[in-house]
Amino acid sequence: MTDATILKTPKGWPAILLPRTAPADATDLDAAMTAGAFSGLRLVMRDLGATGTTAAIGASGLRGRGGAGYPAADKWRSASATEASSRVVVANGYGADPSSVTDRILMERNPFAVIEGLAITAFAIGAAEAIIAVRADATTTIRVLEAAVAAAQDAGLVGNDAFGPGRHLDMTVRTVQGAYLLGEETILLKALEGKRGQPEQRPPHPATRGLRGLPTVVHNVQTLAAIPWIVVNGSEAFAKIGAAECPGTILVQVRGPEASGVAEVPMGTKLRDVAGLAGTPSGARSLKAVLVGGPSGGILPPDALDIPYTFDALKSAGAHIGSGSVIVADDRACIVDLARVLTRYCADEACGKTIPCRIGTRRLSEIGDRLAFGTSRAGDLDLLTDLASDIVGSALCDHERLTTLPLVSGMRYFRAELDEHLERSSCPAGVCHPIAMTAGATH
Amino acid sequence: MSLVPGLGLVRGMALTLRRFFEPKATIRYPEVQADIPPKFRGRLQLLYDEYGTLKCETCFQCAQACPIECIDMGGMDTKGRFHVHWGAAETYGERREESALRRSGRTVPDPAYDHFEGVDVGPVDDILETFDHDPAHLLPILEATQAHYGYLPVGALKRISQVTGTWYAQIYGTASFYGHLRFEPPTVTAQATAISERRPDEAAFLASLGASLTGRPGGDA
Ligand SMILES: Cc1cc2nc3c(=O)[nH]c(=O)nc-3n(C[C@H](O)[C@H](O)[C@H](O)COP(=O)(O)O)c2cc1C
Ligand code: SF4
Ligand code: FES
Repeated sequence: MTDATILKTPKGWPAILLPRTAPADATDLDAAMTAGAFSGLRLVMRDLGATGTTAAIGASGLRGRGGAGYPAADKWRSASATEASSRVVVANGYGADPSSVTDRILMERNPFAVIEGLAITAFAIGAAEAIIAVRADATTTIRVLEAAVAAAQDAGLVGNDAFGPGRHLDMTVRTVQGAYLLGEETILLKALEGKRGQPEQRPPHPATRGLRGLPTVVHNVQTLAAIPWIVVNGSEAFAKIGAAECPGTILVQVRGPEASGVAEVPMGTKLRDVAGLAGTPSGARSLKAVLVGGPSGGILPPDALDIPYTFDALKSAGAHIGSGSVIVADDRACIVDLARVLTRYCADEACGKTIPCRIGTRRLSEIGDRLAFGTSRAGDLDLLTDLASDIVGSALCDHERLTTLPLVSGMRYFRAELDEHLERSSCPAGVCHPIAMTAGATH
Repeated sequence: MSLVPGLGLVRGMALTLRRFFEPKATIRYPEVQADIPPKFRGRLQLLYDEYGTLKCETCFQCAQACPIECIDMGGMDTKGRFHVHWGAAETYGERREESALRRSGRTVPDPAYDHFEGVDVGPVDDILETFDHDPAHLLPILEATQAHYGYLPVGALKRISQVTGTWYAQIYGTASFYGHLRFEPPTVTAQATAISERRPDEAAFLASLGASLTGRPGGDA
């Protein structure tokens, strides 16, 4: 399911995050430096300076790959503008979605890009502490990162006096585990402080008040890994890649009928081509839907596949980039069943802090269950619409908002199939129980 | 007063009649159980007994159960002593006995209190020593404690609370959030099974996602 193989992509696609050929030993610093690692950091320290670096990242148009697509340089500016005794940079390598291993692959194959990106960010915002947060069960990733950080430390690239006399960069790998929500930045910071993992009201954003009250920039590891490339190759070169409003590439976990794995995709590639990297259903099977964004993703129909894979286009289509997961569903799948499974997982993982979180997501999941189990009540779909908009309007963190996506997108694009469940208690795909199978179901 | 005599009565009866045919909200507990969110803890209300005395005994159990520390207490216990936050280990047991006696006239053996059996807290002290007695390292401390005992015994948590000065409620609230921390020995108990069924893990999610994508032919394809 969570395949770690690298999918073949067209020759012309840029390789910024994942090198085309995997290095023999990803933790070999000498080999990595021969290939150009840490030349970005040198440029930043010698020529660009903190403001110059921030300006360069701003000009490149780099947006965070963690899901929300927030411009990276804006976070840096608010962190540097906040008076503080010290600042912190956190690499979010948690990878909350269990069906996606994109971040883990990146850290295992290209750990020095993440470390260099962290160091550059730290230099730019004046941070003395950098933390790479990883899942405790990703033992290989942890081993690789720890070896890579140790190598960088021995070479004096991070650690004491890394940025010149008296300017230290203390870099550690920290493991966290035990909840889906740890991927969310304020919750991750709570876990790093040894507290219960529940989100905080924003503002103040972590960039102004984060770990132990210090301004903290949290970036996804992919965002960080793109930074050295931008510094070395220039903002213009980066801005030319991918979509105009969100340049660069992103790692996508594609699961389809023929293959399953990770691919580096230029932003703005048509969703059809992204999904197509894992083959399209053929023969007796036809393409029914594509699930975009992980457990809280949107379920998009075949005619929505011409939209570009960008933050904004996916958002207006009712999905999101989320964990970078793209899953192809053929005609065996029932949209109601799929939406129900996803909503239930998200509702069970909700933290319970606020009412939309504790009760709203649960009620949402019950509506999904009722549809699938043939016990719907009249008005359930109106209730779903109302509830979803209330949750979106009053949620504390994005998790609740996103939890509405599977059912809402299912209702938006597959209304006929939902109506079959609701009005005739029948499941056209013959999946839902105890609803009777109807004619046309083929298994 | 209505202008038509008896109209109010008719209206009232009509409402009764309408309600009579509406679907019932009652379920046949315990055969049928309401789907309660895993984090739901019920409505909070302090009750008074038939003599008008507050039923709260300042036992601190609600503060202990509240995962986000919105309940904490200070107050007089049944012996007229003032307590702030979680009391010392012995106080707790003492008050428990006392309440049980007061209520029923005899001590009631209650399996719910098995958790409170004492453990040797020496190892906890060693663990705390390694982490500098710093509550900022609470997660690694709890993980190390679980690695030692196989689970998080109440006695160990109380020791952490005493030594670090962190409220017990905060420690319990933190520990109960993280899926990998448990309060029962790894041997399967009904409670542990019930908890894992209510909160499916990642593997269970992946399996049901796979099953859903392949039309559920007996699970993942
Ligand atoms: C429920 C939820 C889960 C998330 N999981 C992750 C995750 O696994 N990895 C990640 O980098 N960001 C995740 N995020 C986004 C983070 O909150 C945060 O926006 C991101 O790490 C910031 O990095 P960026 O600026 O590089 O996007 C999640 C957000 C939410 C609401
Ligand atoms: S936070 Fe505390 S009071 Fe609120 S619902 Fe949870 S347990 Fe109850
Ligand atoms: S998941 Fe609980 S507040 Fe967002």
